[in-house]
Amino acid sequence: MEERWDLLEKIGAYAAGELEEAEARETERLLAEQEDHRRLAESYTRMLVLMSVTAQESPEAPEAMVNHVIRRAYVAAFLQQAETFVSGLGRSYIGAFVYYLGLRPREA
Amino acid sequence: MSLRERELVLQAARGDAGAFAHLVREHSNLVYRVALRMLGSSEAQDACQEVWVKVWRSINSFRGDSTFSTWLYRVTINTCLNARERVLRRESLELREEMPHLPEPSGSEFDPEATTLSRERKDELVSALQLVRPEHRAALVLRHLEGLSYREISDILEVPEGTAKGWVSRGRAAMLVLLARGDADGEAGGKTGGKP
Repeated sequence: MEERWDLLEKIGAYAAGELEEAEARETERLLAEQEDHRRLAESYTRMLVLMSVTAQESPEAPEAMVNHVIRRAYVAAFLQQAETFVSGLGRSYIGAFVYYLGLRPREA
Repeated sequence: MSLRERELVLQAARGDAGAFAHLVREHSNLVYRVALRMLGSSEAQDACQEVWVKVWRSINSFRGDSTFSTWLYRVTINTCLNARERVLRRESLELREEMPHLPEPSGSEFDPEATTLSRERKDELVSALQLVRPEHRAALVLRHLEGLSYREISDILEVPEGTAKGWVSRGRAAMLVLLARGDADGEAGGKTGGKP
């Protein structure tokens, strides 16, 4: 069974034009020997054409989704800035309170 | 990576949502296209949003060793691989006595010259793709649908080039078996018999 998968893959690589010269010649010999192998190569070619036609299509990302992603980023950026501001403000207040209570250690 | 893109990335890394919005607008089609091909239409949008949330959170870890699009491909593929998905392991694909063959398409249904393809054939292709083992699917999408080189694929998937080639090769074979069986809409087999 493993040999059959290897053959399947080799013929696929041949159809995709990915084999080295020597391997390609060897595969052509296999194709010449058996009708089944030739049909397999043709099937691969058909599938690869199908894929290349599909590849030429470029579906566009839905506008609503793109806008949603961008909105999320703006909200995240705003929250990040707000957090930085509030924590900075909090630190300043605590510093001032500590100073007011005279709890700041004296410098030597 | 262009100077402008590098600048946008740096600004976004500093928390500039405007710069990030530019990056989203420029690359949203890439992310959506890959997610669509990796997961199908029902899960693609959720995956895209997850990708951009990850990008926003981790853009300051982007070192610029690769292009931004390579990094983005990596984040997208990893997100898709982690997403809930129907997995058909290659081992469960049964290779029957006869080699798999695709029937010749009728002229009206398939016209490569005009690059048109019937909706049915496209759906069949996408459904079959969903059943290919995830890492093989990722490599297959990057190679045959995104048209990337094996070097780029190995960069994105963070595996050696030989491994990337092997995954594409196995993915291709599995796709052909699934398409030939025409059962891409359902879980196939469950029987062993494929190559481990």
